[in-house]
Amino acid sequence: MDLVRLSWKNIWRNRRRTIITLTAIAFSIMLVQALHNLSFGVYAGMVDSGVRAGSGHIAVYRNNYLESRDETLYFKDGSLVDDISQINGVEQVLPRLYIPALAQSSRESRGVMLIGVDPDRERQVNPFLKTLPADGMIRSTDSRDAVVGTRLLHELQIRPGQKFVVTAQNEDGTLHSELLRVRGVVNSGMKDIDSSLILVGLGRATQLTGNSGSVHELAVILADAGLEATVHRQIAAQFAQGQDILAVSWEEAMPNLANAIKLDYASQKFIFMIILLIVAIGVINTLLMSVMERMREFGVILAMGSRPMTLRCMIMLEAVILGLLAAAIGTVLGSLATWYLVAVGIDLADLVPETLEFGGVVFDPVMRASWDPAWMLRIAVYVVCLTLLAAAYPAIKAGRTTPVEGMRHH
Amino acid sequence: MKTIRIARILSTLILSAIILLAVRPSFALDVEALVRQVEQQYMGASSRAQTTMLVKTSHWERSLEMEAWSLDRDYFLVRIIEPAKERDVATLKRFREVWNYLPKVDRVIKVPPSMMGGSWMGSHITNDDLVKANHIEKDYNLRLIEETDTYFLVECLPKADAAVVWGKIVYRINKTPQVPEQIDYYDEEMVRVREIHFDDVQQIGDRIVPMRLTVLPLEKPDEQTILHYRELVFDLPLDENYFSLRNLKKR
Amino acid sequence: MLFTLAFRNLWRNRRRTLLTLSAMVASAALLILALGVFSGMFRDMLASATEQYYGHLVLAKTEYHERRDMFAHLDEEVASRYITAEDTEIIGISPRLRSFGLISLAETSQPVELLGVIPEREKQVTSLQTKLIAGNYPSEAVNNGALIGQGLARKLKVSTGDEMVFVTQAADGSIGNDLLIITGIFATGDSRHDNNLVLAPLGWAQKIMVLPGRIHEVAMTLADPMLAALTADRLNPRLPDDVEILDWGDLLPEMREVIAAYDVSRMIIVSILYMATGLGILNTFFMSVMERTREFGILMAQGMRPWTIRGLVLLETCLLGGIALAIGLTCGAVMTLYMQQVGIDLAGYITPVTYAGGTILPRLHAVFEAGNFYVPAGMLLLVSLIAGFLPANRAARLDPVQAVREV
Repeated sequence: MDLVRLSWKNIWRNRRRTIITLTAIAFSIMLVQALHNLSFGVYAGMVDSGVRAGSGHIAVYRNNYLESRDETLYFKDGSLVDDISQINGVEQVLPRLYIPALAQSSRESRGVMLIGVDPDRERQVNPFLKTLPADGMIRSTDSRDAVVGTRLLHELQIRPGQKFVVTAQNEDGTLHSELLRVRGVVNSGMKDIDSSLILVGLGRATQLTGNSGSVHELAVILADAGLEATVHRQIAAQFAQGQDILAVSWEEAMPNLANAIKLDYASQKFIFMIILLIVAIGVINTLLMSVMERMREFGVILAMGSRPMTLRCMIMLEAVILGLLAAAIGTVLGSLATWYLVAVGIDLADLVPETLEFGGVVFDPVMRASWDPAWMLRIAVYVVCLTLLAAAYPAIKAGRTTPVEGMRHH
Repeated sequence: MKTIRIARILSTLILSAIILLAVRPSFALDVEALVRQVEQQYMGASSRAQTTMLVKTSHWERSLEMEAWSLDRDYFLVRIIEPAKERDVATLKRFREVWNYLPKVDRVIKVPPSMMGGSWMGSHITNDDLVKANHIEKDYNLRLIEETDTYFLVECLPKADAAVVWGKIVYRINKTPQVPEQIDYYDEEMVRVREIHFDDVQQIGDRIVPMRLTVLPLEKPDEQTILHYRELVFDLPLDENYFSLRNLKKR
Repeated sequence: MLFTLAFRNLWRNRRRTLLTLSAMVASAALLILALGVFSGMFRDMLASATEQYYGHLVLAKTEYHERRDMFAHLDEEVASRYITAEDTEIIGISPRLRSFGLISLAETSQPVELLGVIPEREKQVTSLQTKLIAGNYPSEAVNNGALIGQGLARKLKVSTGDEMVFVTQAADGSIGNDLLIITGIFATGDSRHDNNLVLAPLGWAQKIMVLPGRIHEVAMTLADPMLAALTADRLNPRLPDDVEILDWGDLLPEMREVIAAYDVSRMIIVSILYMATGLGILNTFFMSVMERTREFGILMAQGMRPWTIRGLVLLETCLLGGIALAIGLTCGAVMTLYMQQVGIDLAGYITPVTYAGGTILPRLHAVFEAGNFYVPAGMLLLVSLIAGFLPANRAARLDPVQAVREV
């Protein structure tokens, strides 16, 4: 492998140039990897908050409740909640009932969407409830406690602790009313949530609609998002035949979030391509320069009996070594940067007000990275391939010279 | 907000009238028993009325002439006669469902639950008021809190878990003639939010009835709804078939 | 004289010059393209929020937007009183009357928001006419024709040509009701509009609400939406105390937040892009000058002064930089043009995304913004100058013998 040693030595003949080129490539790799890992972490965070505030990693519905939101599509969950909770990887199962209703106080009335929940389970998971004080949550599924959005409370002109009445259509078509009392107030900062959220205990909700033991939705939260596919299958297996219920993944249930991420990711890929292109140009430039100024030398080598192929190989090798070295350094730097971004992250809190919405979900002001080693490796490999490609033209050019031409070159 | 129930007013009138006819004022007034008795007596009562409703809000003032029929507390049909622009607009209530008929477009609209809180015909009465049959004794504990030579004061406090928005309702019932004078509605913090005044007491058949009610939303001092009965007839031969969607559309 | 020398120097080593040039041109052009795409995404976000419904500026009674009180109405000619032909940045003005009521069909009723508009004027402010999936935009010809959203059409199970009743509380207390014929159905991808919004002719709305000659707001579009806040500031003093103009930032505070966040991430990425480009140019330029150290040594040995060397290199840098700039900017402009007109369609891959009151369509495209050209140009020049100057400076300070010895 003298050729390898020769190539290696050749690279270092012009130390300055090699170092500059290495730095350029390595730095670009570092930036690209770090940024990707950052986005990766941020997306994962968004998905996590999104599924917790929404319909979980996997949601169970009857028929096409997801699209139609037809209140009559409820189902008896029976032992499903417990059965699904047993599945490995499942953190929590949230049963929910959605009831369009009228909320009335002594002064005002508003159309609302009442959500019947299991308070204990919901408390552990739902990010909107995180800010509630210990005694601010619904006490039991049957209690008359309600958690209300702050703007809605204001519109109804009532305060925490005060009562209000909700009226909804019962299963048999008649209207039914229930007394509720404001136990806790949600102030998420998002107008939509704060002016429409009402949570009550599932038991109390079914009193209103007359269909006890039923739900519209089971939101399944996973401890490990990576297990989604397996858990999905296991959940589907739980359903009895002919029960007309199905499990959907969060991408289907919350397409807004999924697409927001995909769109951001797509534009990022575009930008990365451009960055790598820019780097590639620099590399081609460097290699070409290095080849061109050694033409004379190549002429001599050829005159001394070396084969053109050997020459080409040597140049390719130089490129590969350069690429590998740059990739290695770049990945190390990228890992360091990622490590920092995982541990510390970027705090946007100073630059941006506290609550942000992106794809319908509350955005965590600290951007944290998450390791995606597979992707990092792929980028490193791309770069090496890129250097190889970049070397193709110079190598061919070098190989095509005749000894005489080469030696005449200056 | 503006909440008053036409059916409730009618039965309140009847209720109070019957209380007063049936009971001699005494300190041992068992209001609950009376109410229950009255309820049973009230079953089967029907009525027809011609009314004028004057509504004054901070933006407009208007006057409607209407004809209304009722059966028990569950059926109610009202049709607008004047002004000409709104003639034949009608509302039908059957139990807890409400429909409106709009002659201009010749359509019947069912009022969805979320719109029940909306005002009826622009007045301080809501669709919800029409719908909620007054089960005052079901949802409230009644108690005589004061008695003078001229009137009774009956306090109604909501029972635990009763699905009502008020914190307290107080009836002032005149002794002679035995008719309600005023009803005060309080919110949970005992702030008076609404008042209904009764006057123009007349004798209709064997009952004594105040023919005019005024609803005052206290937080909007320049607003009110005045419902004036021009004509009132009880115990007609009406049955539930009269209260149909077809009749709703009849002109 | 130095100038001619500089120029000749460039062409002396044609290969090197061309290589350096091509690197700079390509990097600059790509950078400009990337910035254009970012601007495109940003514009899309903004446009989707404002151009579907709000407009860039809205004139209404103060506090109207909080509660949308039907009684806070204005004279329909209010805009012409305060906005003149000299306010050239305003390119569309649409007076509107708003009503909340029920759309009814048989046994189903849906609560909706109805906007009474003058179709030809509304088209200048919002873009629902580009989102039609059935039928046509309402026109003056059909005085009770309405445009409804896809979600609403589905819920009511109606299509174009069907009749529906709109019921609302009129301003005189009566029940306003009348028939509407569906002339068209739109789909924006935003359920808030698709499930809720109805556009109808202004005259029809005024009649049903008993508000003849009255409107609630005037929505306006600007040639440059980013000037909205400034324009509002300029116009507000003209208005009486009870009337004000709000810009889209006031109407959609959540959009402002999203833009702030977006700006941050854009800054990060743009810095990376600049760094990558800068490094590339630095690399190329630096090397090409470094390698002439020997040449400089010889020149100095022959009596050339160090500052002349520096000056020479600076000139060469400027020349090269200038040429690279010219070509790079042109290429960048061409690519941006392509992306602007054609773009990359991702529709097969993702559906429209709704956030913060806006909807983004799944298409990558670019817009032209001056900043996306002169900033990279400036940076390019700056980097080249540094890249060229540093090694030249170093060479100039060397002892000529040492310099000549360098390889």
